[in-house]
Amino acid sequence: MAETERVAEAVCDAGPIIHLDELSALDLLEDFSAVVVPEAVWHEVEHHRSGALQRGRAILQRTVIDTEVDLVLAALAQKFSLGAGEQAAIQLARQRPNSILLTDDTAARLVAEGLSLVAHGTIGILMRAARHRQRTPQEVLTLLEHLPERSTLYLRSKFLTEIIQRFKVEHRL
Amino acid sequence: MSTPETTTVHAQVPTRLYAEMEELVKAGWFRDLNDLLLDALRHYLESHRPELAERFIRQDAEWGLHGRD
Repeated sequence: MAETERVAEAVCDAGPIIHLDELSALDLLEDFSAVVVPEAVWHEVEHHRSGALQRGRAILQRTVIDTEVDLVLAALAQKFSLGAGEQAAIQLARQRPNSILLTDDTAARLVAEGLSLVAHGTIGILMRAARHRQRTPQEVLTLLEHLPERSTLYLRSKFLTEIIQRFKVEHRL
Repeated sequence: MSTPETTTVHAQVPTRLYAEMEELVKAGWFRDLNDLLLDALRHYLESHRPELAERFIRQDAEWGLHGRD
């Protein structure tokens, strides 16, 4: 890594693990000081894309969360219909101050925002890879351009074009 | 907590898809078919709420480009 030192711990939901693995880019999580994966998320990934856990074994840390009931989160989880994995990831992020929650789930992002947690998703991790020199800007651009064919992460076509354009302008591509 | 108001929906599902759904329930991933359908619908609707999803992705892009971590 070039410009920045190793950064915060990441608490990972299933989406970024699955989407990054689909793009053969799980290694982009390597420079977080740790990438912790709650048990419920682990099971979710195991079910949908078990190979990702094998490929990410050196990076992903299966973690049992503190079972103390988080009443605020429980209420929000019900209101926003969070899945077990998303709820566990948010709970773990709340238990680990200064961690970054990684999720592509809109409802989870909304709840995280309400709880003042720092949360980011796959697109951010991809763009960050150029800033951290884990990939060249051209390589990141290729990943973004191939997102619809290579990943199950859904972005409206026009919106993806807008995001790609933003990236190209920034990196003068 | 109160139970949310519900509406019953009748739908035809291809037999093969139905069998796959049953397998997931049998394997313990969902309490029942109702639970599975709710989860599937919720995720579909979430992924089709463009304004909210896109606001978060724009924030991601900014973090990716200019964040400090």
